[in-house]
Amino acid sequence: MNGLGFRTLFSKEFRRFLRVPGQTLLSPLVTTSLYFLVFGWSLGSRIQEVDGVPYARFILPGLVMLGVVTNAYLNSASSLFVMKLQGTVIDVLVSPLSYAEILGAFVAAAVARGLIVGGIMWIVGAAFTGFGVAHPALALLLILLVAAGFAALGFLTATWAASFEQVNVLPTFVVTPLTFLGGVFYSASMAPPALRWLTQANPIYYLVEALRWSVLGRADASPLIGFAVALALAGSALLAAYAVLRSGWRLRG
Amino acid sequence: MSEPVVRLRGVSKRYGDFTALDAVDLDVAPGEILALLGPNGAGKTTLISIVAGLVRASAGEASVLGRDVVRDYRFTRRAVGLVPQEINFDPFFSVEETLRFQAGYFGVRLSEDRLEEILLALDLAGKRHANTRSLSGGMKRRLLIGKALVHEPRVLFLDEPTAGVDVRLRQQLWAYVRLLRSRGTTIVLTTHYLEEAEELADRVAVIDRGRVLLVEGKDRLLERQGGKTLRITLAAPLAALPAGLHALGARLAEGGRAIEVDARPGGSFGPALAAVAEAGFPVGDVETRRASLEDIFVSILGGGTGGDRA
Repeated sequence: MNGLGFRTLFSKEFRRFLRVPGQTLLSPLVTTSLYFLVFGWSLGSRIQEVDGVPYARFILPGLVMLGVVTNAYLNSASSLFVMKLQGTVIDVLVSPLSYAEILGAFVAAAVARGLIVGGIMWIVGAAFTGFGVAHPALALLLILLVAAGFAALGFLTATWAASFEQVNVLPTFVVTPLTFLGGVFYSASMAPPALRWLTQANPIYYLVEALRWSVLGRADASPLIGFAVALALAGSALLAAYAVLRSGWRLRG
Repeated sequence: MSEPVVRLRGVSKRYGDFTALDAVDLDVAPGEILALLGPNGAGKTTLISIVAGLVRASAGEASVLGRDVVRDYRFTRRAVGLVPQEINFDPFFSVEETLRFQAGYFGVRLSEDRLEEILLALDLAGKRHANTRSLSGGMKRRLLIGKALVHEPRVLFLDEPTAGVDVRLRQQLWAYVRLLRSRGTTIVLTTHYLEEAEELADRVAVIDRGRVLLVEGKDRLLERQGGKTLRITLAAPLAALPAGLHALGARLAEGGRAIEVDARPGGSFGPALAAVAEAGFPVGDVETRRASLEDIFVSILGGGTGGDRA
């Protein structure tokens, strides 16, 4: 085990996103705060409550999930892709770091960014809606699993990508639409039948619902499904990223 | 040769139908400087990338200090330093951070003394806290060498270390390579420049189309291949060469304004110069030129062009 190597790569990745806090921490905070203000405050004043929960408090878990997913994904994706582009990925590939150590360091740093962004968003939102969390340990576990899964997806995407456009394919065309249709801003039980069907066919819906249950103590869907989806996502994405890294595809000639 | 530091046996690398390396056998002796010479696309970078762990061989075995580069990668990579051909840098970090990170990847805590030694040796001490983005091209190239040395490798691979660098930096890099060798580091360098190989190498391996065509001592290679050309520029053009000069192998160039004579290594231009003086030709200039890399390649490749290949 190259413990110092792992810690060094993690530290480098962690410090990398802290070097550009405006882009990595402030930008998602501003974006999500705007969601919160527009949907939670202005629209929320009309909707009042969803299943007995104030609307602003109802949407907060989904917004935190959106922030965690996007930032965990973008951290590993953009970092690895820039390393490929700049040629500095060589520095890691010629080192005695194992595949697991390389992937682990990238994922851990991406999870850390997801947690920091999600945490900041939670604090800002909770300041207006209350800090109570029904199941804090499960909420943290869920966030860790989801962040690890999307960090691994980011790693996979960056390995495959030949352009920034390709790096942005997943967040733009998959994650954002699925999140918006994943019950962040509405309850599936209150949605029209077609939207309800679409929502319930969406795996991200179950992640949002599981976090909502962990935070609010209630949700439309069973939290067990959400935890199972998170576990399956994290497990399959990490295994796939490990297998691709080990194969050398697009990284080792 | 004593037990080789690097050993390749039947190493091949194929990309689809393209064979980048074809059953290469090569030994690198401890403490030597081996120059890998060859045109673009010959397989030089592929060869050293396989040893450094950057590329996987399709067939054959590569070992460093007797350990397989795939099975014992942790050991072999700690023994190898690679200076890549393309300049790379991480714009988020300073020179010091870059060196400390690189040492850390190899499981090494970079001591203050070692850091200062590297910075001083590579003339980067004044840039210790500078962001790598602000470095000049030459500084970035020196930083690459520093990164390859932080873990004190037994073997250093330099891939085209002086491509595109100015004369002063080239001289500095050569001096540093000699210093490293004097401390026992084995060095393998790829280069297009015969001059570089002449300056530094103990042995030369010529590689083309993925095959090692020859491996031999530099002095012996130069003796066999490194002839010289004497060029005498005349003040007035000649219509034809006198028989005496013709018999010495001389030829007219530039429409009769210059006389050229080739000599094998160790050969003398004395008879040709004497013949020119005896003929009383008004001489404008006299120069000698050592055989270029292209000349060597043409000779070794049996008249092939040795030109660029993708």
